[in-house]
Amino acid sequence: MQKNKLSESLVAAVLVAPFIVVYGWMFVYPTFQMVQLSFTNAPLIGPGVWIGFENYTRMFADKVFQTAVWNTAYFVLLTVAPGTAVALVIALMVSRLKGWTQSVILSTFFLPFVLPVTVVYLIWDWMLNVQFGILQHVIAPIVGRPINVWRAIPWFMPSAAILTIWWTNGFSILLFLAGLRNIPKDLYEAASLDGATRWQMFSRITWPLIWPVTVLCLTIQLILQLKIFDQVYLFARGGRTQATMVLVQYIYEQAFQNNSGGYASAIAVALFVIVVAFSVLQFQLLRIRRAS
Amino acid sequence: MPYVELKNVTKRYGNVEVINGLSLGVEEGSFTALLGPSGCGKSTLLRMVAGLEEITSGQCFIAGSEVTKTPPAQRGVAMVFQNYALYPHLTVRQNIAFSLSLARVPRAVQDERVGRVASLLQLEELLERRPAQLSGGQRQRVAIGRALVRDPNVFLFDEPLSNLDAALRSQMRVELAKLHQEVKTTMIYVTHDQVEAMTLADRIVVLDKGNISQVGSPLELYNMPANRFVASFIGSPAMNFFPATVSGKSGRDVALTLPGGHSATIISRGDRLADGGVEVGVRPEHFKLGDAGGAGAAFDGTIGIVEQLGNSTLLYVDTAAGQMIVEAEGNLQVASGEKVGLTIDHTRSHMFGQDAQAI
Amino acid sequence: MSNVSSNAAVAKRRGPSWLGGVLLTLISAICAAVWFFPLYWALVTSFRHDDETVKSFGLIPENPTIDGYLYVIRNSNLPLWYLNSTITSVTITIVAVFMAACAGYAISQLRFPGRQLLWWIILASFMIPVPALIVNHFVIIASVKLLNTYPGIILPMLVTPVTVIVYKQFFDSLPKEFREAAVMDGANEFQLLLRVFLPMNWGITTALAIITFIGAWNSFLWPFLAQQNEKMMTVTVGIVAVRDSFGVFYGRFMAGAVLASLPVALAYLIFQKRVTQAITLSAGIKG
Repeated sequence: MQKNKLSESLVAAVLVAPFIVVYGWMFVYPTFQMVQLSFTNAPLIGPGVWIGFENYTRMFADKVFQTAVWNTAYFVLLTVAPGTAVALVIALMVSRLKGWTQSVILSTFFLPFVLPVTVVYLIWDWMLNVQFGILQHVIAPIVGRPINVWRAIPWFMPSAAILTIWWTNGFSILLFLAGLRNIPKDLYEAASLDGATRWQMFSRITWPLIWPVTVLCLTIQLILQLKIFDQVYLFARGGRTQATMVLVQYIYEQAFQNNSGGYASAIAVALFVIVVAFSVLQFQLLRIRRAS
Repeated sequence: MPYVELKNVTKRYGNVEVINGLSLGVEEGSFTALLGPSGCGKSTLLRMVAGLEEITSGQCFIAGSEVTKTPPAQRGVAMVFQNYALYPHLTVRQNIAFSLSLARVPRAVQDERVGRVASLLQLEELLERRPAQLSGGQRQRVAIGRALVRDPNVFLFDEPLSNLDAALRSQMRVELAKLHQEVKTTMIYVTHDQVEAMTLADRIVVLDKGNISQVGSPLELYNMPANRFVASFIGSPAMNFFPATVSGKSGRDVALTLPGGHSATIISRGDRLADGGVEVGVRPEHFKLGDAGGAGAAFDGTIGIVEQLGNSTLLYVDTAAGQMIVEAEGNLQVASGEKVGLTIDHTRSHMFGQDAQAI
Repeated sequence: MSNVSSNAAVAKRRGPSWLGGVLLTLISAICAAVWFFPLYWALVTSFRHDDETVKSFGLIPENPTIDGYLYVIRNSNLPLWYLNSTITSVTITIVAVFMAACAGYAISQLRFPGRQLLWWIILASFMIPVPALIVNHFVIIASVKLLNTYPGIILPMLVTPVTVIVYKQFFDSLPKEFREAAVMDGANEFQLLLRVFLPMNWGITTALAIITFIGAWNSFLWPFLAQQNEKMMTVTVGIVAVRDSFGVFYGRFMAGAVLASLPVALAYLIFQKRVTQAITLSAGIKG
């Protein structure tokens, strides 16, 4: 198109400027600052002295850091694959419904996703309340006594995982529904004419064709749950927070309670590396599957 | 002085040269068609006049001023797009008035001008509808209306009828012709359909791979094609071609030996003739059917397929030179397998040399 | 031959065709009811007297009351928190979406130096976990003395690369004839964006706006860090940061929770299609 290159660039500059300013100031700059600080011993506010890789060596030896990594991994294990499986089952079920039945039932499954984490916390805190929580009526008969799940270490993560799955499943269900909708019905009709059983139809048609969506869900969930903070922080308050520490929580604690800006940044960088590693892994996995 | 002029324009996309050193002039008030197969560069030329494509080198003039670097909106041109490009979220009225409202023309003036255009194109009842509610032909008229309301110096059409069905297309052709008569604006019209070009244009520019093959009035191109490309492109059904060898020459008359052994004489146009082989072109309507083995026949052939169109009959005749398409009068009683002789009208036939130019 | 008989066998196994449908609906309804139970229980509790909440566990409150709600509205800062949430969420929605539309438009339609680089940076920003940046956000906002203010909450939350990407892809998808027609009609870039491109699909803008609003309203970590002053808290933070506001009375807690989630729940229920659309759009990008 015939236009003046300079004026085009000027107009473009005006249009992107607000975004670039905010993005640069609130995203790009903090990212660089995070990396830079990780090599210093800076406190929360104020500059520090360059100490090279000291923060990192300290981090690898730090027992709490190791706990945080382990807990985060444990949480991921408890939520990502099970959550995706639950979402797939629900999606399979909902996809067969029609009309407003489907609409209503879908909204029910999705509604928790639009709620703030604090509301979810309050609801489940109430339901699991060791004295008066209604879920204790389910737990007590099985275990023998009511359990304060948020103070009993073995129960903490699984409970947090269950409510997280309840909370975030709607997202994955939507994705699966969209994916299932894209499978042409004729494939199933042809298979049923060939005498395929329900299981065969699932394993030979549905599962392979939905694989890209499955991978997508898994990785989105994975990257999401690696950054877990809110639920764990809220439920662990007042108890032994160190035992259930997760990575982002450790960043927060080191920065705001220990006043160690530099060390906190190092942990943040570690988290960043882990997330990037998994993102790249996803990309490769998806590519390999597509090629095969 | 041409009203629209392209001087020595070249268009390059990266390393690919689409148009090279082309020059073209369009007279004021004329209806000029840019005709050619897809990829010949006709749309590119149109868009260069519009200002939608940058001219790599060369110049463009409209109404005497150079517009090579001028933005489209300031060239005094308006364009009707192939897919109409009507704004789907605006009513017909708002679509037509869009350019006026961008220029902050007062509402009363907008309404008046839209009203005039709407009555010219019979759109009055559709003004409050959205494009999605209109038929193809109606959308086409709205697209024309949007261009018309700007009172442009030059109207540009980019294959506007190609998305319409056959019946609608003929109807719209007549409307476009009437429009041109009515507003008398210079119009440049791009199409790959030679029937559209022949019926609408007073001048046709035939393009082939980025070069001008021939410029002339429809009948000029039809009766005196300058080269094999134009000869094969214009006219429907297409011209028949077959090789022949020169056996003699006397003045303008050239004697030829045809495949199958017969001979024919064709009048050449000039003195370009070289000895040896030429290619002969004969339009289907310039073959005459006669009895097989008749005197003066150019070919003996067997009738293959017969197509009865009512007003004419198309015969696909197998001859020594391959299949010839012959157009005869309507309601002809012939059958497949009949043997016939074909005579050539030697005043209306053409010869082309090795360089594909007319001889 | 064998196909026909196996067909019949399959058909026989399945029973009458309507039974499967009814069974499915039944099972789905039961699952949905179980899934919905926590929300239902919260609602029930919120309408109970506080002393009743610890005694009765019936599914329907025996003496429904709105005492919990009244208490929360009158005796806590919840109305103030509501105001804070509204101001911050609406501001974030308007500013972030508008900025993203402009930026997405420029990247899609204009050529300027650094365009490709900017696009790569935006795409890459997915991999950076925002929670990792909270420390730096805190430091920056503190250094410009914007802690405990509205801009302080709003600024870091304006970063939405996803919105830019959705807009850019949307603008890319529009046939370029619209742009050309508008250019020939004399439109400049701003008119193109505001009068042609955006209006061609208000649905996308609505979808992105709603999901930005929901995300802003529900945000916890950053608003939590950025405000120490109870009067400046958003409702999402307030209902857990200030336990003593309500005492240890679950009826009130649930009332607070219900009130805090009302706007976003309503936004979803009313604009379900848009929310679904926004989610599929943003997920499509990560795929």
